Amino acid sequence: MNCVIPGVNIKVFGRAVQSLSKIGEELYVEPLEHGLALRTVNSSRSAYACFLFAPSFFQHYDDGSGQTTNGSGKEEGEEEAIRCKITMKSCLTVFKSVYTLEKTVERCKIKLDMTESRLVFQLHCRHGIVKTHNLAFIECETLQAVFSKDMCPNSLTASARLLCDAVQNFQNNQEEVTLIVKPDKILLKNYVEDEPDPTKVMHTELRLEPEEFDNIQVGVDSEITFCLKEMRAILAFSEATNLPVSLKFETAGRPIVFSIDSDSAFEANFVLATLADTMTQQGGSSNVPTESKTSQKRKHTSNSRTSVKAINKSQTSRKETESMNIGRANETEEQSVRINEHEDSFLSRRKPNNKSPDHEGRSNRLNAALSELMNDDMDDIMLDQETREEISKQPIPPELGTKSVSGRDRITTRSPVPSTSRENISPLIPLQSSKPQIFNITTEDVEMKENEEEEEELVPGTPPSKRFRSMFFGSQSSTITQSSQRTVTKELSVLAEDTDDEG
Amino acid sequence: MKDQMALSTQQSNDDDQYLLLAKVDNVRHVSTILKAIHFKEIATLFASPMGLKVTVEDAKCVQANAFIQETIFHHYIIKEEQVTFKINLTVLLECLTIFGSSAVPGVSTSLKMCYAGYGCPLLLILEEDGVLTDCSIKTLEPDEVLDFNFLSTNVINKIIMKSECLKEAFSELDMTSEVLQILLSPDPPYFRLSTFGNSGSTHSDFPKDSDMVESFQCTQTQTNRYKISLLKPSVKALALSARVSIRIDNRGFLSLQYMIKNEDGQVCFVEYYCSPDEDVDEADH
Repeated sequence: MNCVIPGVNIKVFGRAVQSLSKIGEELYVEPLEHGLALRTVNSSRSAYACFLFAPSFFQHYDDGSGQTTNGSGKEEGEEEAIRCKITMKSCLTVFKSVYTLEKTVERCKIKLDMTESRLVFQLHCRHGIVKTHNLAFIECETLQAVFSKDMCPNSLTASARLLCDAVQNFQNNQEEVTLIVKPDKILLKNYVEDEPDPTKVMHTELRLEPEEFDNIQVGVDSEITFCLKEMRAILAFSEATNLPVSLKFETAGRPIVFSIDSDSAFEANFVLATLADTMTQQGGSSNVPTESKTSQKRKHTSNSRTSVKAINKSQTSRKETESMNIGRANETEEQSVRINEHEDSFLSRRKPNNKSPDHEGRSNRLNAALSELMNDDMDDIMLDQETREEISKQPIPPELGTKSVSGRDRITTRSPVPSTSRENISPLIPLQSSKPQIFNITTEDVEMKENEEEEEELVPGTPPSKRFRSMFFGSQSSTITQSSQRTVTKELSVLAEDTDDEG
Repeated sequence: MKDQMALSTQQSNDDDQYLLLAKVDNVRHVSTILKAIHFKEIATLFASPMGLKVTVEDAKCVQANAFIQETIFHHYIIKEEQVTFKINLTVLLECLTIFGSSAVPGVSTSLKMCYAGYGCPLLLILEEDGVLTDCSIKTLEPDEVLDFNFLSTNVINKIIMKSECLKEAFSELDMTSEVLQILLSPDPPYFRLSTFGNSGSTHSDFPKDSDMVESFQCTQTQTNRYKISLLKPSVKALALSARVSIRIDNRGFLSLQYMIKNEDGQVCFVEYYCSPDEDVDEADH
């Protein structure tokens, strides 16, 4: 890789890095044929951000794939292009002050020094001063999120100003906001977690005038809750660059995509998980009760590996929570199980892809992914399951009473040492488990997964206590939306983050 | 009796008893310079007919001197060749900025500073808009200060440059690096500042023909490392300065001289000496 950012664009690049730094702690740098991709994912993996700087953004751009002339050689060349990740901190030192960048930097060279194994940022400043940053990197696989913005029924486009003004009304420590979209109104309000006394919490609700938006398209009424911090990161960038932001989303539990597009020079996509809200999802899930059962069975058969792991986890957590009452301990179990499931969904998506060089398999899987994307039933099933579990722990409206009782029974009658029955009550069913195509994981793959999983440890302090559907990361779909079909095949080998640094 | 005198705003014959008497219209002329060397609590103050020199040292490796020459004061009387005492610089600065440290247009605080001799406190009388503050700061027994024996005849490489670009370089220093490496050479890259931190190395190169460089007198290539924690405090002086002279002698000792212009256009100097961390360049003598 070797590219040069001209002085006029350095500010945008710097802002992009700063914006990414508010989301993740590692920066994934990937030179592609159609541009330089900078990506990051947050520690709980509920937010993913990607900037793609097109070759036209640069004064000079060479993705380092070498020979790009002959047709078949192209693919190989691209395989060779190095993908790497660097710590966000180190990159931030390069682009620390946008003000001085703008004022002093005339051009910025980015290159990979393979002999020294360094990613080199060279800032050519005024007065002939040259600042060279040689940053250590780790070679890694592509970080990719599964999301689709083209098929979202809801879409809003607004100036950064409008959204910034709206967001400013929330307190700085506000974690999540809820966006409510109906054909006649758009509301933004702060999301209040299960407070013992809701009257003691400040509620802020803003009604946004549809006329103020550049574009509005509401296919389904939705009420989605997502993190404010990441949204602020996006808005900071769009405000600085004065570009409108478009929001594409469906319903609660499905990711929301914030996109910023500058005429062919660069594009940015931020994918945020949304809270799978119990109340709003209740209705949607009721129409697929039969499938719910079958998928649960499938999970039972196919994911016994997961369950085993889950049991281990739950046992350890039980030890830790011995002094607590049973109900509390159960909660902890559920959380740890859920974490495992998250990891599983990462791994199982990644591994098979990694192992299949043949095109046939790829396109199959691509189809699978596509149909998966189109098909929402799965999520509803999951949510349904999840909902029941959730409900059992909460005071709930009367019409849900029966369900909740059964849920509670299930939990309380569980034997203190969970045996194989444990898998029946895993609160989450990984997405892929219901898709036969993705089952075509060979046994060795599974074994590999297991090995890997043993290495993986729970990151302390990051239980998804809120039900963010974090796991939309995996492989394919973003390529469909993001770029040409050609890249689809290439990026199929795409993986989530390397596991090495998970511990 | 002393107290009565202190409250008096008039010129008094009692002033005769002081070994040192200095008055300045704008206390900021003194306080800003002292802030530039304020990285340790205790400072040694040397007064001579030339003016004041305030010295701060750390780790027996770095020394900062602020020179406030006699012309900065509108009234400066000293009865001995040299008056020396140690003082708590933090307290001194607090007193000097008691009316606030930021510049307010049209308002300036005047200062009268008196010292009666060994064992006596340093008396400060500050006045702003008719409001008087009377301070008395205990002085301490002076210690010997380091003599770096830095002779200009031993200087091998010397650069004088505008501070502007160095400010940026210093403010961006990677503090995860233990050392700052300074390379001075008659050949490219001429002047290079390097750090070696957790995330990799960083080099800032300044070509000798840059319009930031006013004088470039390098005779041979020298690479020396200095503890970044010791050099970092000099950023305070750098931030105030207009020009900086960087000199390294044959032993690798570093001298940084900052030229600081005050609001009235008068020039003061702050000087830092730092010993090298390790001698990576064996070529010198």
